[in-house]
Amino acid sequence: MSRKLLVPATALTVATVFALAACAPSSDDAAGGGEPKAGGTLKVLANGDVDHLDPQLVAYVPTYNVMRSISRSLLSYSASNDAAERIVLQPDLAEAVPEPSADGLSYTITLRDGITWGAPDGERAIVASDVERGIKRLCNPLISGALAGYFTGLIEGMAEFCTGFAAVAPEVDPMREYLENTDISGIETPDDTTVVFTLTKPASDFPFMLSLDAADPAPIEALDELPDSPEYRRSFVSSGPYKVADYTPDAKLVLERNEAWNPDSDPLRKAYVDSIEMTMGVEGDAAMQQLQAGSADLLFDLSPSPANIQQLKAQNDDKLSTMENGGVDQFMWINTKSPNNGGALADLKLRQALQYAVDKTAVVQTMGGEELAGVTNGIFGPGILGYEEYDPYPANDGKGDPEKAKQLLAEAGFPDGITLKLPYRNVGTQPDIAQTVQASLERAGITVELTPVPPTDYYANFMTNPENATTGAWDIALVGWSPDWQGGAARSVFQPQFVFDGTHQSYNYVDYNSDAANALAEQALAATTPEEAGDLWHQVDEAVMADSPMVSIAYRLKPNYHSERVGGFVEYAQSQNGDWTNVWLNG
Amino acid sequence: MSLSTSKPPAPRLATPKTAAIAARNAADVQLRGSWSLTFARLRRDPASIGSIAVILLIVAFAIGAPLVAAWTGHGPTEQFRDTGLSPSGIPVGPSAEFLLGADQLGRDVLVRLAYGAQVSLLVGVVASIAASMIGVVVGVVAGFFGGPVDTVLSRITDLVMSVPFLLCAIALVAVLGPSLPLSIAVIVFFSWTGLARVIRGQVMALRHREFVEAARSLGASRTSIMFRDILPNLVVPIIVYTTLMIPSAIVFEATLSFLGLGIVPPTPSWGNMLADAANGSLYLIAWWMVVVPGGALLALTLAFNLLGDGLRDALDPAASKGGKGA
Repeated sequence: MSRKLLVPATALTVATVFALAACAPSSDDAAGGGEPKAGGTLKVLANGDVDHLDPQLVAYVPTYNVMRSISRSLLSYSASNDAAERIVLQPDLAEAVPEPSADGLSYTITLRDGITWGAPDGERAIVASDVERGIKRLCNPLISGALAGYFTGLIEGMAEFCTGFAAVAPEVDPMREYLENTDISGIETPDDTTVVFTLTKPASDFPFMLSLDAADPAPIEALDELPDSPEYRRSFVSSGPYKVADYTPDAKLVLERNEAWNPDSDPLRKAYVDSIEMTMGVEGDAAMQQLQAGSADLLFDLSPSPANIQQLKAQNDDKLSTMENGGVDQFMWINTKSPNNGGALADLKLRQALQYAVDKTAVVQTMGGEELAGVTNGIFGPGILGYEEYDPYPANDGKGDPEKAKQLLAEAGFPDGITLKLPYRNVGTQPDIAQTVQASLERAGITVELTPVPPTDYYANFMTNPENATTGAWDIALVGWSPDWQGGAARSVFQPQFVFDGTHQSYNYVDYNSDAANALAEQALAATTPEEAGDLWHQVDEAVMADSPMVSIAYRLKPNYHSERVGGFVEYAQSQNGDWTNVWLNG
Repeated sequence: MSLSTSKPPAPRLATPKTAAIAARNAADVQLRGSWSLTFARLRRDPASIGSIAVILLIVAFAIGAPLVAAWTGHGPTEQFRDTGLSPSGIPVGPSAEFLLGADQLGRDVLVRLAYGAQVSLLVGVVASIAASMIGVVVGVVAGFFGGPVDTVLSRITDLVMSVPFLLCAIALVAVLGPSLPLSIAVIVFFSWTGLARVIRGQVMALRHREFVEAARSLGASRTSIMFRDILPNLVVPIIVYTTLMIPSAIVFEATLSFLGLGIVPPTPSWGNMLADAANGSLYLIAWWMVVVPGGALLALTLAFNLLGDGLRDALDPAASKGGKGA
């Protein structure tokens, strides 16, 4: 079977190589694909659907490409194949990236000229009150935005607004009534083009948070329907270059040009293609075959598998690219609350033994080698402000140091080794990664009992159930985390996972807390320059890792692929994929 | 219908002329037991002989798994990250070091195949024997007593037959956690019903036969009639059905393991090995990860199926001529 598949693929490559040699790429643009040209239908393949088609609610990385096309944000990023360039904040609806006031508590945004809604009754300018309405919609009582928490405590008066909103009946009229008649004291709109945000405490990463679609402005029409209801999705009012033309859940999403969009007002989107057609329900291998055959162009929530990548690399296919996302995936939480082995994991020495025992390079190899993954040693991944290459527990360049681990194990009172429970998800390479970790801990005399957990239950019911931590259902667990936005996003890694203020947070599985790290994070958020903030965030990283609450293992690179006819494939950091609004189609 | 009690061989109609010839003919007409007849018929069937050879080979392979491991120097869960994998984690194909290639973690496929055979055979044989015991008891009791006992047992059989296998297996494993005993229990639970129905029908036909009446009139107890008079007449369907149950139990186990509901990694099982090949579409570049366990699974199940067929023909030649019997 594999041979049958291989033969045409090889033939295709040979043809590609000759074609490329004959044409010789016209420019040094790595994206390639000739001169930009408008027109055509971009065909995107997806396995699942968008998480939401409502900017305030979106929190699923692939969906950011849909949002990029239909909903403009205040600030955003240029699509670029340069890793540093694509996480530099750029103005989108705003005229410029705002600077904080002297006390760091206030940000003033001025809206651009020529920005418009493609409203049903003709185009209409996007105004300051639309921005305020968007933020307010975040904590609507029907479905609150997944990222609302970052804003609620930060914008002055928003917490009170949201408390009041929660008491409102989750129906169209009462919600509109409350939303239009209640103010958030920290958002002022002195005129139609000016929005002033006042914060409760300094937050150097606030402008980055404004790049989230959660903070997109919302038109008055958005209040006519329940948030993200089928009616809302059908009558979505677009501010981007495209609008929703047709949408069937779990089957098809068609975007077509939004005539109200003014290209001069948009420095970030070129919008070459006429329409975008996303077909859902496609499986990974089938999708890759379609892309290679040229019957589809881009992938939505799918990625080339390690085997696909191996084939493409063997063929020197330059349409394959990888990008980093600032996350750490995988890392291993250590359950300090586990009663197993007499509560041994509460002992720092034992947790440090685990740091030395894990063979991180083996995990990287299992994930597809150094071209698809890399070793990490801290809580932040590369591509995030605060990430620095360092190794608090050096062990043979990530290969692990079983002898040192054994020694620490003996010092902790377990000279004959210890048995730990490791749950794993039965999906993709997760069983392989779990077995790799198991084999590497074995070298240090740590026996690992693997317990499979259904993939859909893993986070939803198993890990986030605090009882599983306190009853010792797991001792160590492999998880991943990606920051919720790009660049200055250290907060979105640190706060949900490593801060405990008395109330249990879902993803801080064992209620880890470090006062030293919290104090440093406070300083980092108040820092005035990115350099200073980055330095302080790195100290936060060090402070957390000194307690060894988890073993940082590896980061993953996101592999992307596109069809032959796609030109100008540049990566958009938020969606971790090529930017739909900047690619063109040849031929 | 399918009596396996001794059948007299066709008498030779030779007229003895001398004492010597008479003696020789007497030796020729010696009574041959049903078992020797069965084996004689089986021997004449090349498919059965081939199947037995394949099964014996795989059994020897499974028993000799530690020897295979010692010979190759590779443990069943040992990972050879330098020699078995490329730097980007792609397994190496069949070579002098890894005769049947390596898997996605750099483990020797040959050694894992041998240890996987242990699991498959253990599950197949143990589950089939257990299931056929349950099936026989339920079938005999239901068929012999009839009436309300039959109604209750038959409806229970129907109930089990109507439970969706995978759904139930997934639910059970989710609650109890996967393990070898649980896999066997699930397979047994879903396998006994077919045999129970067949046996029940046979017993119903047998229970009014003269020899049963005779035993009853001699004062034999019900238990004695069931197990001493009726059961021996059911040997053929029991043997045939149990043999045919083994391959389906092996496939059940492989299915469970393939779905991650059976044998917990890193313990090898053929289903696990196939699942490894499917993960990350490795089958696209590592054909040996599919062909080796898949081929072994095919060979073993085919062998048991052919043997079951051959056994049926051999045990009950009358039925085989008139189409499907037993």
